Parts: sequence; C-alpha cells; structure tokens
Amino acid sequence: MDFTLDADAESLRLRLRAFLADSNPGKAPKDPDARREWLQAWRHLLAERGFAGPAWPKAWGGMELGLAEQVAYHEEMTRANVPPVHGGLRIIGPTILRFGTREQQERYLPPMVTGDEEWCLGYSEPGAGSDLPSLRTRAVRDGDEYVVNGQKVWTSHSWTSDMMAALVRTGTEAARQHGITYLLIDMTTPGINVRPLKDMAGDVRFSEVFFDDVRVPAVNVVGAENEGWRVARTALGYERSTANTSTDMRYRRILDELAALTVDRGRSHDPVIRQELARLEISMRLLHLNNLRILSAVLRGEDPGPESSVTRLMHSLFEQKLHEFAVDMLGSNALLDGRDPLAAQRGRWAWGFLRTRGSTIGAGTAEVQRNLIAERVLGLPRDPAMPAPADEGLAS
Amino acid sequence: MDFSFNDEQEALRSTVRKFLVDTSPESEVRRLMATAEGYSPDVWRQLAGQLGLLGLIVPEQYGGSGFSYLELIVVFEEMGRSLLCAPFFSTVAMATTLLLALDDDAASQDLLPRIADGTCVVTVALAEQAGSWDPADCAMTAAPGGDGGWTLSGEKFYVVDGHIAGVVLVVARTAAGISVLAVESGAPAYTATLLSTMDKTRKLARLTFDGTPARLVGEEGKAAPAVAKMLDLAAIALAAEQVGGAQRVLEIAVSYAKIREQFGRPIGSFQAIKHKCANMLLEIEAAKSAAYYAGWAAAEDDAELPVHASVAKAYCSEAYVHAAAENIQIHGGIGFTWEHPAHLYFKRAKSSELLLGAPGYHLERLLQGIGI
Repeated sequence: MDFTLDADAESLRLRLRAFLADSNPGKAPKDPDARREWLQAWRHLLAERGFAGPAWPKAWGGMELGLAEQVAYHEEMTRANVPPVHGGLRIIGPTILRFGTREQQERYLPPMVTGDEEWCLGYSEPGAGSDLPSLRTRAVRDGDEYVVNGQKVWTSHSWTSDMMAALVRTGTEAARQHGITYLLIDMTTPGINVRPLKDMAGDVRFSEVFFDDVRVPAVNVVGAENEGWRVARTALGYERSTANTSTDMRYRRILDELAALTVDRGRSHDPVIRQELARLEISMRLLHLNNLRILSAVLRGEDPGPESSVTRLMHSLFEQKLHEFAVDMLGSNALLDGRDPLAAQRGRWAWGFLRTRGSTIGAGTAEVQRNLIAERVLGLPRDPAMPAPADEGLAS
Repeated sequence: MDFSFNDEQEALRSTVRKFLVDTSPESEVRRLMATAEGYSPDVWRQLAGQLGLLGLIVPEQYGGSGFSYLELIVVFEEMGRSLLCAPFFSTVAMATTLLLALDDDAASQDLLPRIADGTCVVTVALAEQAGSWDPADCAMTAAPGGDGGWTLSGEKFYVVDGHIAGVVLVVARTAAGISVLAVESGAPAYTATLLSTMDKTRKLARLTFDGTPARLVGEEGKAAPAVAKMLDLAAIALAAEQVGGAQRVLEIAVSYAKIREQFGRPIGSFQAIKHKCANMLLEIEAAKSAAYYAGWAAAEDDAELPVHASVAKAYCSEAYVHAAAENIQIHGGIGFTWEHPAHLYFKRAKSSELLLGAPGYHLERLLQGIGI
C-alpha cells in the first residue's frame, strides 16, 4: 500500500495551483442569465489555457490526462471551489466520441469543450422513472427526418440548454430497451415547449419538456436505430471514479464547515450531537477511502471490485444524513429560511435538508441501486414478475 | 497510489485461509467452545511453527520474522472468517504489541521468543469490574515490595484468555502513574477464573491478586503511551477480524437466499431480502476500507493512528453486528437454532463490538482526536 500520487500528477498540481491562484472566478452570480455568462467565461478560460476536459482527448481540445493526474486535477479544482467539469463533458461527450459519426463529432464536440453549447439529458418520462425501458416519447422516421412526439420530465437545466441527448421510442413498446434510439435534438426546434418545474426546496433546476411534431434530422441518431440503450450505457467510463474525487473533497469541505458551525453555536458539548457528528466524520472518511480503493484498482488497469457498486448509494445517503444532522443541531433556527436575516448561514442547511430528499431519487432511486447491487454483485435471483433485464441501469 | 495488498500478502491470505478451513471447521469451533481451555494446543503449535504466525510481527532479534502490521491484519481477517478458537488475539494483538511499545529489552528477550515459538500464551489485563477499557479508569495499584520487585493487589476482569495465560501483563498504578507489571501464572496469591460468557469462542477471565509478586516491564509510571498504542493496534486487529466475520456471514446469507424457496420462488428474489443484502455489502465494503487503511496507518506508525483505530473499531463493530443479525433474520427459524452456525457469528460479533470499548466510546474518542 502506498498513498502518494506519481510525479506527473504532482507537477500538474503545481501548474493548476499557479493558474487558480490568479484566475479563480470567485462566487457565481445569483441571477440565472449572469450566472450562465459567468460560467461560459470560466469554461472559455479553461479551454484557452489548456485546462478543459481532464479526461478528454487532446485531438478534441481536452487534456487527455492519466488517471493519477485526473485525481490531482479534481483535487485542486475542488480545493479552489471552482465549478466542476460539466455533465456534457462527463456523460454526453464520451458517448458521441465513442458512437458518434465524424460529422457529429466535428459539429458538437468543440463547442462542448468551450462551453459554448450546453447540453441536457432527456431520459425520464412521466410514465418511465425507475422503469426507464418503458419510455414512450416516439420518433417516427419521415424521409431524412424523425418526427418526435411525447414528453420528458426531471430534465435538468433544459431551459438553458442548447441541445438535448434524448432516448426516444423507435421500435414497439413491447421491445422495451431494444426499441430505443439515442437522438440529439436542437432545443430551438419548433414544437419544443419547456416548462420549468419548481422543486420542494423552491428552486427551478429541472423541467418538463414537451415535443409536438418536432422534426429532427435523421443524421442526429447516435449509433444505430433501436440501439440507443446500449449507446447510452456503454459510454460511462472510469473517469467517473476520478470525478468522485471532487465529490469527496466537496463533502469534506462542507462537513468541516458544519463541524465548525456546531462548535460556534455551542452545540459541541451535547453528547448526542457529538456521537452523530463522529458518525458523519466516519462516513466521510470511508467514502473517501472507498474511492481510493476504486482508483487504485483502475490505476492498476483492473476492474474495481464491489466497492465501486456501493459508492453512489453511500454518497446519497451521506448527503441526506449530513443535512438531517445540520437541521437537528441548529434546532429551531433551522425553521427559518434563507430570507430571514437570523437564519444561520443564510439558511443553507435547511435548504440542503430539503434539496437532499432528491439525492436518493434522481439518477436511479436508492431502491433501484440496491436491486442492482443484490443482483449484479451478489448474484441474487431476479424477481420473476419483472420484465426481462435491461442489462444495466442508466445513471446520469 | 496503491490501496491493495501485494502478491506476498495475498499469498499469505491464501495459506492462512486453507489452513483454517482444514483446522477450524464449524465442528472444531463447537468442540473447542465447550472446553475450558478453548483452544487446540496442536493447532497452536502449527500456528507458531509451520505458519510462523505467532512471531509474525516480532522482530528477528527476538525470534520472530519482523513483518508489518499489514500482514497481521490479513491474518486476523481470515481468523475472523473461520471463528478460530485460539489465544491469538490476546497473545499477538495485545501482549506482543504492548511489549514492543514498552521497549524493555530484558522483558522482550524473555517473553517475545517464547511467544514466537508458541511455548507461552501471554495476555494483557486492563479492564476492571466496571468494564472500562479507558486506561484513565484503571484503579488497581502496585506497591514496591520484596527483592526490589513489586506486589499487586486487586482484581482485573474481562481478561482475554486470562485463564490459560502463562504470563499476564497487568496495567496498574504506582505512585508515579500508569505502569505495566508481569505476573507468572504460578505466582503465589494469584488466581485466574474462567468467566461464563455469551461468546464461547473467545474466553474471558477474572484475575485476583493479593500481594502477588510482579516484575515491572518498562519504566515505572511511564507506560500510558505504550498502553494506548497497544489499545489502538489491538482495536485495528479486532476490526480486521470483524471484517472477515462480516464477509463470511454475508456469503452464508446470500447462498441461503438463493436456494431457500417460499411462495414458489427463491427468497433472494424478493426485494426485502435483496435490500438487506445490499445494505450489508455496502457496510462491509466500507468496513474493509476502514480496517485496511488503519492497518496501513499502523504499519507506517501514522501520527493519526488513534483516530484511524477508532474509526475502524467503531464502524467495523457495527457493520459485523448488523450483518450477523441480518443473517439470522434471512435464515428465519433455522437461523435461531443452536445447531445453525448463525448464532456463533452473532455472539462473536457482539463480544468483539464490546471488547476494547463499544462504538460510543470510540466515536467520542475519534471526535476528541480531531480536535472537537
């Protein structure tokens, strides 16, 4: 065992620190439009200075870093508290790289790296949540176009997105995941109607997207027709394990802030509070150590073991527990929302308490995660009442 | 960066696992549980000779092979898996680590070679009637007396393998503070009584001293850091043992859930059972991370060792108790019987959770360790 990173990773760390010392964009503006401009300026700067796309090929403007360097990259960026690598680059980009045509790559990849075009994922539907292979948004071929009709929901950031990577029904519903196609849809196409949804924390982070005779060029299919499920699931690579580094470090910082707040508010003498805080400290450390075990396997060129299958579930449970502790620790003060001047730290903990109810729902519920762990890792038999297996769940 | 055991460590694991499958099957565990000694002298000799495990962390100058603590936690994980009944934890994780931390050459020359060659079982007596494993709560006193030696009076409780130990390292107070004194099992005015306990796979004893002659090990009044170090290292060994036991009960539960049918289908196809097993796996994987990292910290003598030890002891204890309890639940009626092995693991899980301080104690110690 050895917990040091290699020399390349350490030298990248120094270069990044120098860059971040004089280029940190600071806090994001509150106003959504100003925020988008601010984010784009930051992504442009990263691309310009050669710090965009840590896992991304150099040929497409990325850094093409080794895994150890990616770890150092995420550590430094998170330490500096700058925006994380966006979902387009992490999820949709790799899909287009692996399954897209040359034309698709040339058209979509460069503006993805620079952040000039934002992407959203069109997966879930009102009738297709945990059972995603039952999705019904239909795309019918008409000449060299598809005509799309239906509805997506819980689509994050769709009203600020330029493009959507959607899963649409091209085969029969009975064909389930074998009748689904991966389609790139321009969000400005006539017939698309985005209706923002307010979540229980009062934020507008996702929307419903309605498609009414939306015409999409057939060349926008990624992979073959009816092969969309395989396309969507195969592209999720090991860069996710290095990206978890940034999640860990962000949680580490949040927990340190929460511990400091506990002391500040004179609550650290309460033995019950102390026990709960110690449990959070343990969970935090073990999340980090689990991730190091995964990284270690990946660095050796091996497939990570069962520890990688439990990571998402551990993260989401931890995030909830952390905020549950925070509001219990704050007591009545946690009842004040961010608009009340007396709310501790402008209500961030009560807000997080509400927001993290979604942690065990979005991108695969905790129950679906547990089913996957039980069946794939432990080999427990499938429920005979369930439809034929879809090989793998999709996580976003 | 590499967070894995190397090829030699994995080879050691295979050797130990094979040995224990042969020498510590359930039938042998049940046989030894019912004896007063609680171990097989024959297996003990093989652990010393053929496998060299008793001297694994003993430096070569004292007759051992000088391996690191990482090798040792691999061994403990395997012993936890097989519920080995032997005074290995007391002799290696407690007495050997305490002797090494005390750094007393004469005592080491005397005891470590006898530990390594399997001729002497040695344990540590710390807890008293109240059951605290915090050295600050140690009240027993030692007084100077006879031939420049010392005498001990009072009682020690929950002494692991105390009834069969040839030598006991007793933690006691002198006027100068916390000290460690060695008592031979044949000493006058000394009795060791086996306690009747829930977990028969690891025996506990009550020791009585009444002006018992003892010899000082290490410096008088300066043993507190060595005792603390021993407690950290023993907690890490126990955590590794808990990981092995927890992994084994998960395997037992999962294989039963695959074959046991009710309502015309395997019970493992029901989500209620799946989710239990998934939760067990999650906790066991996290427990492995905790125990392995603490083992590394022990091998490196990391400055944060007490924190890593408490993280591992608190978490692995609860993960094992939870897994052992769920194993019983998944088995249903048969899991509640004496004839099924589920209760053996459950009792070992609970006894090791409480040994060296329950989770609540380690949670508090962890928080103090990080300055809160």
